Amino acid sequence: MDRRNFLKRLAATGTGIALSGTVGTLSKAHAAKGGKEDFGEIKSLKVHCISETSWFDNATLGKDIKAAGGINTNQYDVAYTEENLGGYAALVEVEALDGSKKKYLLDTGWSNDWVDYVFAKDGIDKMLQSKEIDTLFISHDHIDHYFGIESTLKHQPDIKIYFPGTSMPKSFELLKGADFSATPGCPKNSVPHTGELVVTTPDKLYKIQDGMALKFFDCPATLQVRGENVLYFKIKDKGYVTVTGCCHPGILTLLSHARRNFKDGNKNYGCYGGLHISVFENWDPKFDDIIKGVKSFNMQKIGCNHCTGWIWAEKAEQSGLPIVHGTDKNLSYKKVGSLSRAKTSNVYLGNGDEMVF
Amino acid sequence: MTRTQDRLFWLEERQLAPRWSTAVSGLVNLAALIVAVAIVWWVFFSIEGIFKLYTPLLGFSMVIWTLLIILWQAQLFDFWPLSRGFLENAHPLSKGAVLTLITIAVYLLLLFGIVWFIIGRLGITYFNWQSLAKYGELGQDMLSTRETASWAMLCLSIPFFLVGVWFMLGIGKDLFHELGQPKFGLANWLFVAVIAIPMYVIFFHPHLGSMFYPKQIYAAVPPWWESIAQTNSAEYTVGILFCSVIGVFLALNLWDGWPFDLVGRQPWRFFYFALCSLVIGYVIFRIQLYIFDYLWYEAYVGGQNEANFGWRYSHTVTMANFVLVIAIIQNTFFGPAYEKMNRIVGSIIKTVVAIILGLCFAWAYYNWGPTLLGVTEGVSHPSENASAFLILIINIVMIQDLFMDRWPGYQLKK
Ligand SMILES: [Fe+2]
Ligand SMILES: [Fe+2]
Repeated sequence: MDRRNFLKRLAATGTGIALSGTVGTLSKAHAAKGGKEDFGEIKSLKVHCISETSWFDNATLGKDIKAAGGINTNQYDVAYTEENLGGYAALVEVEALDGSKKKYLLDTGWSNDWVDYVFAKDGIDKMLQSKEIDTLFISHDHIDHYFGIESTLKHQPDIKIYFPGTSMPKSFELLKGADFSATPGCPKNSVPHTGELVVTTPDKLYKIQDGMALKFFDCPATLQVRGENVLYFKIKDKGYVTVTGCCHPGILTLLSHARRNFKDGNKNYGCYGGLHISVFENWDPKFDDIIKGVKSFNMQKIGCNHCTGWIWAEKAEQSGLPIVHGTDKNLSYKKVGSLSRAKTSNVYLGNGDEMVF
Repeated sequence: MTRTQDRLFWLEERQLAPRWSTAVSGLVNLAALIVAVAIVWWVFFSIEGIFKLYTPLLGFSMVIWTLLIILWQAQLFDFWPLSRGFLENAHPLSKGAVLTLITIAVYLLLLFGIVWFIIGRLGITYFNWQSLAKYGELGQDMLSTRETASWAMLCLSIPFFLVGVWFMLGIGKDLFHELGQPKFGLANWLFVAVIAIPMYVIFFHPHLGSMFYPKQIYAAVPPWWESIAQTNSAEYTVGILFCSVIGVFLALNLWDGWPFDLVGRQPWRFFYFALCSLVIGYVIFRIQLYIFDYLWYEAYVGGQNEANFGWRYSHTVTMANFVLVIAIIQNTFFGPAYEKMNRIVGSIIKTVVAIILGLCFAWAYYNWGPTLLGVTEGVSHPSENASAFLILIINIVMIQDLFMDRWPGYQLKK
C-alpha cells in the first residue's frame, strides 16, 4: 500500500485537494472507503448443481470455435456441434436468520433439450410453475449460461430476471423473443419475457434479501461477451460466500472486492461455481499464481466445477486448498462429460451434487 | 567478392529525397501506409477476414519474426543476393515485391520448416501444435495448442531480436569485416543465435515447462523469477527484454541514436550498447508500472485483468509500441522537417509528439479497434494484444522504407 499512498499524496498535494492526510482520490477502487457495506446475514446456504456440463467434450467445442475464427469470434456466429451442448444452471437455496427458506435460479443453460432434461430431473420445472422460484439471475449472456432461456420462460414467462447491462444486443433481443437457430447451436426463444427485468450496472450493489446481494462486474470474457453478475452471501458466524456462473472477473477480484468494500470483508468462508481458470484443461503459469493468491485468503470450503478446469482444482487441492469433492451421481445422467468418463478424481461438484455453507 | 569493410551497405549509400514538399510526401506515405495496413490486416489477421491469423498469439508471433527477417536482410545481409544494380534501378514496387517474397520464404523456411516442422516434431514438443495434440493428453486440443506453440515462437523471437539489435547496431561491421556477403551476414547471424538460444532457455523455457500438467520440472526449472516478479509468467522477462528492444528504436528515431553513440571503441561499444539497452528498457518498463499502479491500484498475486502482474508487464510493451509506431512514422516519413532544427530541440519536440500522439493512438485503438479491426473490446482482455497490430504497422513501414526507398512519397537521388 505504501507506494500507492505515496503516489496518492503526491497527486493530492499537486492538485491541492489534500484533506488532513486521507485524500479525496481519483481512484474508483477507493470510493467505498468511507463506509463499508453491510447487507445483513443469512443462517445457511445450499447450492444444488443442476448442471455444470456446459458441453460434453472440450475438443469438439474447441474445434467449432477455431473453425469460426477463434476465441474472439462473436458467440452468435459460431456453428456448434449440437450433440455436444449442455449448459450451466444452479439452484440456490437460502435460509434466512429466522429459518425461512427461499429458492433462486442461477443461469438457464444452453441446449433446450439438455436443460429440459435436468430441470425435470431436479423438479425445477415444477418449482418454476408454482413460483416457488420467482427470480432468475443471469450471470452473463454466454452460450452455456443463457442460450437455454426458453426452457425457463416456458414455465414462467413473468419471472423476475437480473440481467447484465453489458449483454450483447442479440441477447436482449432473445429475451423479447427471437430466433437465431439457423446457426447450429444458437438459440431461439418463442416465449417473450413479460416480468420485471433488472439490468445490472457496475456502480451499485443489488441487495436481494438480508445477507444476500448481487454485484455486477464489468470484465472481459471470451466470444465477445462482457461482464458478469456475481452472488455474495454473508453467513452468520462463518463469513462471505460467492456463487458464480463462470467467474470471469476472477476469484481474487471477488475476494478483494469483499475485503475492500464489505463489513468484515476479510472473512471469506467459501465459494461455489465455475472459476474460469484452466477452462480447456490447458495450463498457464499464471494459474499457479491464482492458487497462491487464493491460499492467502484462508477460505474454508471451495466448491468448483464448470469452467474452473479440472486441472486447476486438482492442483489446488494438492497444494492444500480445501476443495470440496463431488460424487459419482453425474455418471447416471443421460450424457456424461468426457472428463468424468476419463475417471478423473472428484474434485468437481458434478451434476446433481450439493454443497452446504 | 568484396570485403564488407571496403564497401558501404546499400542503406548507407542510398540517398533519399522527398518527391514533393516534406509535408505532402509524408502525408502521401502515411495514406499509403494506412491503406496497406488495412488490406493486410483484413486479409490475414482480422477474425472477420480470410486467414484469421490473429488468434492473437499466432499473428503476433508471425509479425515479430517477419520484422526480424526484414531487418536481417537490410542490416546483416545487405540485401544479398540482390545486386546493387537491381537495388539502384528497379522500380520500388518490384523491389518491394521481391524482398517481401524473400522475407516470407525465409519465414516459412525458418519458422515452419525448422522450428515447427523439424524441431517441433523431432526435438521440442511445444514448438509444434500437432505434436502437442499428439503427445499431450488432457487439454491439448488444437484451440489451445496453437496458442502454446505460437507463444513459444514469440518468446524465441525476443532474445533473437534483442541480441540481433546489439549486433546490427552495436557492432555493425566491426566483426567479421573481412568477409563478403553472404558470409558476413551468416557469421553475424550465427553469433547472434549462439547468444540468443541460451537466453531463450533461461528467460522463457521455464515458462513453457510450466505450461503443462504436471509441470515439466525435469526438463525446465520452475520459473525462477517468481519471487521477483510476483508471477510465474514469463511476461516479466518479455516485458523487460522487449522494452529494451523498443528503447533502442526509440533512441534511433527520436534522439538520433543518443545515448547509444557515446562509446565508439570496440569491444566497449558493444558491451556499453547492450547494457545501455537493458537500462533504458528497464526504465521504460518500471516507469510504466508505476503509472499502472496509479491507474488501476496495485496488482496482486493471482489477480485478473488489470490486477494481474503478468498482464501489466506485457502491457508496458504494448504501450511502448504505441509510442514507437508514432516515433518511427514521424522519423521515416517526416524526418526532413526536423533536419534544420537544433539537434536537442528537435529531439525534445519529436519525443513530445511521439508520446502525445502515441497515447492518442492507444486511445483510438481501444475505442475504435473493435469496430474497425474486429479486435476484442477491453484494454486487459486476455485474448487481445495490440502489439500484433502495432508491429504489423512497423513491418509495413520497414518494407516501405528499407525495401521500397520510402515510395511513393520519397525517391532515390541519382
Ligand atoms: Fe461458462
Ligand atoms: Fe462464461
